[in-house]
Amino acid sequence: MNFAESLKMATKTLSANKLRSGLTMLGIIIGNASVIAMVGIGEGAQKYVNGQLQDLGPNVLFVVPGNREARQLGDLDIPRTLVLADAKAIATQVPSVAAVAAEKSTQGIVNYRNRNTSTSITGTTQGFLNVRNFEVAQGRFLDDLDERSNRLVAVIGSTLAERLFDNESPLGKQVRIKGITFEIIGVLEKKGSSLGLDYDDSVMIPITTLTSRLVGRTSPYGIEVGFISISAVSQEAMETAEFQITNLLRLRHRITAGDDFYIQSQDTLLDIANTVTGALTLMLAAIASISLFVGGIGIMNIMLVSVRERTQEIGLRKAIGASPKDILSQFLIEAVILSALGGLIGTAFGAGGIFLIAAISPFEAGVSVSAVVVAVGVSGSIGLFFGVVPARQAAKLDPIVALRSA
Amino acid sequence: MSPLIQFRNIAKVYGTGNTEVRALWDVNMTIDSGEYCSIMGPSGSGKSTAMNMIGCLDQPTAGEYFFDGQNVAKLAEDELAHIRNRKIGFVFQQFHLLPHLTALENVEQPMMYAGVSSSQRQKRAIAALEQVGLGNRVNNRPNQLSGGQQQRVAIARAIVNNPLLILADEPTGALDTQTTQDVINIFSELNKSGITVVMVTHEPEVARLTNRIIWFRDGEVLNHHLAPEELASVTAMPV
Repeated sequence: MNFAESLKMATKTLSANKLRSGLTMLGIIIGNASVIAMVGIGEGAQKYVNGQLQDLGPNVLFVVPGNREARQLGDLDIPRTLVLADAKAIATQVPSVAAVAAEKSTQGIVNYRNRNTSTSITGTTQGFLNVRNFEVAQGRFLDDLDERSNRLVAVIGSTLAERLFDNESPLGKQVRIKGITFEIIGVLEKKGSSLGLDYDDSVMIPITTLTSRLVGRTSPYGIEVGFISISAVSQEAMETAEFQITNLLRLRHRITAGDDFYIQSQDTLLDIANTVTGALTLMLAAIASISLFVGGIGIMNIMLVSVRERTQEIGLRKAIGASPKDILSQFLIEAVILSALGGLIGTAFGAGGIFLIAAISPFEAGVSVSAVVVAVGVSGSIGLFFGVVPARQAAKLDPIVALRSA
Repeated sequence: MSPLIQFRNIAKVYGTGNTEVRALWDVNMTIDSGEYCSIMGPSGSGKSTAMNMIGCLDQPTAGEYFFDGQNVAKLAEDELAHIRNRKIGFVFQQFHLLPHLTALENVEQPMMYAGVSSSQRQKRAIAALEQVGLGNRVNNRPNQLSGGQQQRVAIARAIVNNPLLILADEPTGALDTQTTQDVINIFSELNKSGITVVMVTHEPEVARLTNRIIWFRDGEVLNHHLAPEELASVTAMPV
């Protein structure tokens, strides 16, 4: 019997018992839908994180204190050698650099009249606007003079402004940050969060003021910073900038071996993020695969029952000339149709699920072609794999015994 | 007439030692091509085993079986399937039609295993159904047909590959007198057209209509040419 005819015959048999075929497929449908959806969600998360990183701007570099290995090991004893003067030196001495901002953050309570809220307080410098691509909505941003004279002035993000001032204009208002009175001189344009840092819900003050009045801790080397963000003049200049900054800081810190800082670019952050989200996707897919596997066992179960039930049919087919191979392929094809069709339907459901999730979450919808191909392929082979045992049982039946069974 | 079926010292033994059962023991038997004969015997006489052997559904423990000149006693399962498909047509007591297929599709089944093209299959299946008088029921499913009609569909299925032998196992066992007559008439017609017909039955009135009765008892052929007149006496014999 040729393949097309076997296929037709199997479809006929399966459609003769639609409810059972449907229920058998359900296992595979659910398994496949969850694989597709989980991989889709994982990839959506990956795209989302990548998008966030790209929001940083393609030319941005971060100089972070401590060495990479120590940080990855969770070593909290980070050297306090990265200081504001380093940022100034980078700004003035590295030609491939367009703008530089030093940042240091702390958490604290901000009050306006009877309202108070806990938020992140960022000490930074004038360069922040350029490096991070922010616009000022009202008033002005912090400038050099604010910084040099440790002024008690603050610029607030749009979300925080709404929370504290409702519809009032915040400009010129006095707020208390950790108990110290600051004057609001500007409000930032809304931008959204990026990498978990939401400047919209944050207040920015001169880094010098932060150190001298709020944190009260300075390093013996100068005004300590959390990190320095730098934008290079162009994307092509990134490597040059990284090289020049490294050399400059090594000179300034008198390093002969073992840096006490490291430079992260968007690329290295992307690498890290991809590693994390990749592992997440893999884990989700692995969990979903279990349900696919269970669906396969369901198929085997039903096929075994079906062989038992159709013993007479098998006996008859053998009597009229079906070889063991014919019987084997008949049952295998039925199992593969169940699983492959279930796989296709499951894929459709999975894709639907992805779009649903995309509609209610910040993740982008994406049905990955490779996931579809793999899922349908895998579910098809699951049918083949779990179909073999019942099909062999059918093929081995003794026609006499099979015909006699009532 | 050349022999179509030839048993030479055929034995079929189940189990070993104390549980050994000799279903057939040293059976020699010849059925010529073109014969119309019935196999009879009390239950446990080995007639069913003999029939399975004739139909290449079973293989002997010892001895040689020549079917159409070929020793089939030691053939592999695939080759036996091929012989069953091309040279033998089976008719069973319980018809064994596939319930989810129409009469036409049921008759097409043996040709699917023979690799006949779809259009040819349909043509030959309709012809076979017309031959058994069911040309107007081709699209009915088994549950829409009477017992006699179902058995006629089964006969159409048996003849559709132009076999040398029709092997019928109690073909009228589930039918009433009238339909029994119809079915037997079809067998006689087929025999007249040159097909060998071998029938296992326990109904003397059916066996009487065949040209020869082979009588089995205790795993042996007791009589190769039992006269119909003797039937009454042997069936009355204590087993």
